[in-house]
Amino acid sequence: MPDSALAGIRVVDLSQGIAGPYCTRLLADLGAEVIKVEPPEGDYARRFGPFPDDIPHPDRGGLFLHLNANKKSVTLDVETQSGRVVLRKLLANSDVLVESEAPGVMASRELGYEQLKEAFPNLVYCSVTPFGQTGPYASFKGNSLTAMALSGLMYITGDPDKEPLCTGGEPAEYFGALHAWVAILAALEHRSQTSAGQHIDVSMLEALGCADEYNTTMYAYLGAIRKRFYSRHAIPTYPSEIFPCRDGSIVVIGGATGFPLMMAILIEQPEMENNPLFQNLWLRFMQWEKFEEVLRPYLAEHDWEDLLTRAQELRVPFAAVLDARTLLENPHLRERGFFEEVEHPELGRVPVAAHPFRMSETPLRVRRSPLLGEHTHAVLAEVGYEGEDQLVLRERGVT
Amino acid sequence: MTLPLTGVRVLDLTQVYAGPTCTRILSDLGADVIKLEGLRRMDITRNFVMPENTGKGDYWNRSGYFLLRNGGKKSITLDFSDPEAVELVKRLVPYADVVAESFTPRVMAKFGLDYESLKAIKAEIIMISLSGYGQTGPWRDFTAYGMGLEPASGISSVTGYRDGPPLRTGISFTDPYSGVVGAGAVLAALHYRRRTGKGQYIDLSEHESAIPVTGFALMDYALNGRMEPRIGNRSHWYAPQGCYRCRGDDDWLAITIRDDTEWEAFCHATGHPEWENGRFGDVLGRFQHHDELDELISSWTRDQDQMEAMHLLQTVGVVAAAVLNPKQVLLDPHLRQRDFFDMIDQPDVGARPVSRQLGAKFSAFQPDSARPAPKLGEHNREVLQGILGLSDEDLARLQEQKVIGDTPEGAVPLDVMRMFVQWPTTTFLQMGSIAGLDEDYREQLGIGGNEK
Repeated sequence: MPDSALAGIRVVDLSQGIAGPYCTRLLADLGAEVIKVEPPEGDYARRFGPFPDDIPHPDRGGLFLHLNANKKSVTLDVETQSGRVVLRKLLANSDVLVESEAPGVMASRELGYEQLKEAFPNLVYCSVTPFGQTGPYASFKGNSLTAMALSGLMYITGDPDKEPLCTGGEPAEYFGALHAWVAILAALEHRSQTSAGQHIDVSMLEALGCADEYNTTMYAYLGAIRKRFYSRHAIPTYPSEIFPCRDGSIVVIGGATGFPLMMAILIEQPEMENNPLFQNLWLRFMQWEKFEEVLRPYLAEHDWEDLLTRAQELRVPFAAVLDARTLLENPHLRERGFFEEVEHPELGRVPVAAHPFRMSETPLRVRRSPLLGEHTHAVLAEVGYEGEDQLVLRERGVT
Repeated sequence: MTLPLTGVRVLDLTQVYAGPTCTRILSDLGADVIKLEGLRRMDITRNFVMPENTGKGDYWNRSGYFLLRNGGKKSITLDFSDPEAVELVKRLVPYADVVAESFTPRVMAKFGLDYESLKAIKAEIIMISLSGYGQTGPWRDFTAYGMGLEPASGISSVTGYRDGPPLRTGISFTDPYSGVVGAGAVLAALHYRRRTGKGQYIDLSEHESAIPVTGFALMDYALNGRMEPRIGNRSHWYAPQGCYRCRGDDDWLAITIRDDTEWEAFCHATGHPEWENGRFGDVLGRFQHHDELDELISSWTRDQDQMEAMHLLQTVGVVAAAVLNPKQVLLDPHLRQRDFFDMIDQPDVGARPVSRQLGAKFSAFQPDSARPAPKLGEHNREVLQGILGLSDEDLARLQEQKVIGDTPEGAVPLDVMRMFVQWPTTTFLQMGSIAGLDEDYREQLGIGGNEK
């Protein structure tokens, strides 16, 4: 059985929703033991669909499975003093704590970093919020949409004559999760040299801002305020757009060597090689509508797989526009084993995205997400709570 | 001050966006990152975004795009077309902990620099390959551009206006995304090596790294056989949610109202208590009458200043945020107080605000993120003589043979690059792909500039 990169690392995960949980999912994929500590009614994300047949159930959420694979679930009411006593026992031999409450909430529960660091000096304590622990917007309520809005990335996405557009799929949450994951790993490296834990303050807004390609740079260097323009790049290469084709869409990118000859061959009009629109990058950029008059009819007559295959054979960097179905059915991903089926007591066999990257000595693993409170008994027993104690805690609503 | 990766050395063969994001994070965390470029193959981003839009002299040392992704690194130039250059890279491997590359698969093998070869030189080496589609599989040899990977990862299928086509984010989303994933993967490998002494190979497909962002859509198909429609700025879970026009040419406010409490607060704050009850008074009503609600909300926002409206609503506990343009982001008081932008003094450019690469603050250390980008080949002597012990004569010979140097050869015709080096901003303004062009931008940002 292969080793795992984070074997021996233990994480107490108080986070809920998307960002904190996806961060700890990645830690769990790498072999850390992640104990998801949920309130007795469960992570609020257990309320989110999709559910089979749209029937809500705390153990049947598809997104929950995606975000919480590989973890253990313990129910605990940390808003009570009794719950916090139990939590401290869990923290005693844990390396990492992750939380996603609004700034100040953990402190109000005597669980802030400042309150825990003396008792747990080696603890890496990571807070993930939309806007961070400090600053004028620290008290703001946030989500993926508002983080995108303040990051500048929303202003530059969409059509110029329509409202700015947010990228689909809650991207701010996932970016925040990634930065929290990297930060925790960095803090563990730091701890290996200093023997000390620390507090990490992750802001989803800043995680998005870090992704900026050149938009703030354009202002700082040129005084130019980039605006959304059909998702077109400011760097004047054209095309690199998504176009409709006969059976869906395709990304048409000319690339460094695609014009003029390769594109002309691709659209089966070799005489186009000498057309100024094909010869001249700048002309094509400026007269993009004319160029599209040549291109669109051809695409409307052809299917995406055919276009993609032929283009790539000519080394023209077209790309597919995949969706959930074509991703799950994709032969390339299938050969690479990207999706793995897990057996879930409530959902049956479900494909889960399993390998965002691959490590040769310590492959990532995927196991199902936990049922609500599934591991409360076992985890509490490990830290010394006998059967009768556990019954008392349960009856009094602590677990 | 100890940084997490103090004492770790990275040999960085990555270029452009994803790989350099990964290695920049490692550099900011304290690693010594030696970036390898070639005289015929310098990082293409050295051509993009010139100070004051003037690409004169050694413009390749003054690019804003390059600084953002490569601040703090060292630069050596070794031209791979020369076997002696490849040998020098191999001689550097024993001094490196990590080798990072972003070539198309098989290129490294062609030069004898694949993982097995590097492992034979140094058993505990960690190598990461960031590629478009991964090292194996039917798509592995595809020519991959960042603009194609976001749609290929499924994100574009869920991005777009309602009833509209799939769209892309205004940045190549999967590039920075996979770069951050790469940094995490390297950190995990370093952690494992600390425990066991073993290195390993990381195969990162940018395509695969970003697919999990579409988790909701994947699961709805897996569980229900249903395809997600594009929902614009709406939410799967809350109504109303949207982006609403405010006073001005292109000012907008994003709002999400999740429950009865927030709806009540919104109605009172906007001076419309009459909206509170009736058909919008409960969550189902708001869900069913979303279109009508959007009109109502717009009727209020269109008379508001976006920033005032944001503050007003946030004060009463409503999720709302102004949609900031890049200039507003640079001037935003919250980001400034959070020190999100480093002022980096790039030689021959002057101080410029550069966003950090890690959205995290640490209580026990400060990432070393405020360093200038290296000039092309700036560290040839430091690395080749300082680490490998090459003599002055060796360096002079290599320079004469154009194996090493500091001036790029014309691999990409300079004519084509000219258009990128100096941007046609007036044309962009006419087209509408930029919203404005401020002549006094340096005053606005509080920076001086060198007029070179």
